[in-house]
Amino acid sequence: MPSPHFGAHFLTWLEASPLGAFTRSLGVWSYGVINLVHILGITLLFGSILILDLRMLGAWRQIPLGVLSRPTTRMAQIGFVLALCSGLPMISVKSTDYIGNPFLLIKFPAIALALLNVWLVHRTQAWQAHRTRALMPSENRRLKIGAALSLIFWLTAIAAGRMIGYW
Amino acid sequence: MTLPKSLMPRAAFAAALIATPAYAHHGWGGQEEKVTDMTGTVVQGVSMAGPHATLKIKVNGEVWDITLAPPARAARSGLKEGLIPIGDTVTVRGNRSTEPGRHEMKTIYVRHGKDEFHVYPDRE
Repeated sequence: MPSPHFGAHFLTWLEASPLGAFTRSLGVWSYGVINLVHILGITLLFGSILILDLRMLGAWRQIPLGVLSRPTTRMAQIGFVLALCSGLPMISVKSTDYIGNPFLLIKFPAIALALLNVWLVHRTQAWQAHRTRALMPSENRRLKIGAALSLIFWLTAIAAGRMIGYW
Repeated sequence: MTLPKSLMPRAAFAAALIATPAYAHHGWGGQEEKVTDMTGTVVQGVSMAGPHATLKIKVNGEVWDITLAPPARAARSGLKEGLIPIGDTVTVRGNRSTEPGRHEMKTIYVRHGKDEFHVYPDRE
């Protein structure tokens, strides 16, 4: 029986859900292929975010932030959707195996904080103005804080995610 | 780094020679070094989903998680979902978890009646 653990009900429900049953029925290579999509999603997400965050932290100043921010943000969005759409079926295969796995409790809050940070950065005056005018030092500082937090949260999520299988 | 084309097969062969013994002798992290045989009753049939194929058996009143190879490899040993009915007796050989109270075995070999499944022949 599942031991009491945060999310145990959800994981039990997810395993029994039509998504879990469907993913389990896809054949012996399915998990490997879904895992591949998950990794491609994460590399796309983190690769793009890394470049954007390092630029906001002061690297490659010769490239205007407004030029870099559009493609990196778009690629990161695509990567996130790929990771989400592969991650859900992957965890649904044997969700109850993850009950009691502490890395889940690090990974998903880290993703939530990362997304909250994205939302907050996009709301700042600095972000909303960066494509149309040069930023003031205080605005650059705000973006630097956002970029540093972004790297911390995403790296935590990725590291905890990688460790799930080794618990 | 470039190698003359004629040397490539030899280089690959040499690399394989070096790599094989290391793979064959290395244990599974978190598992006992020793290989154990257990006989029990199937309580949950072979599942070919997930990173590894799995099976659950009951041995002396305790349910054991039997972790098999990745699904494609388990399939190559002849295992299939539904092949071993629930309630049948099977013998498994493998390395048990070193964690106290964790009933889990990484499995090298499964026998069901006359059928033998050599999941990891190179570990036998």
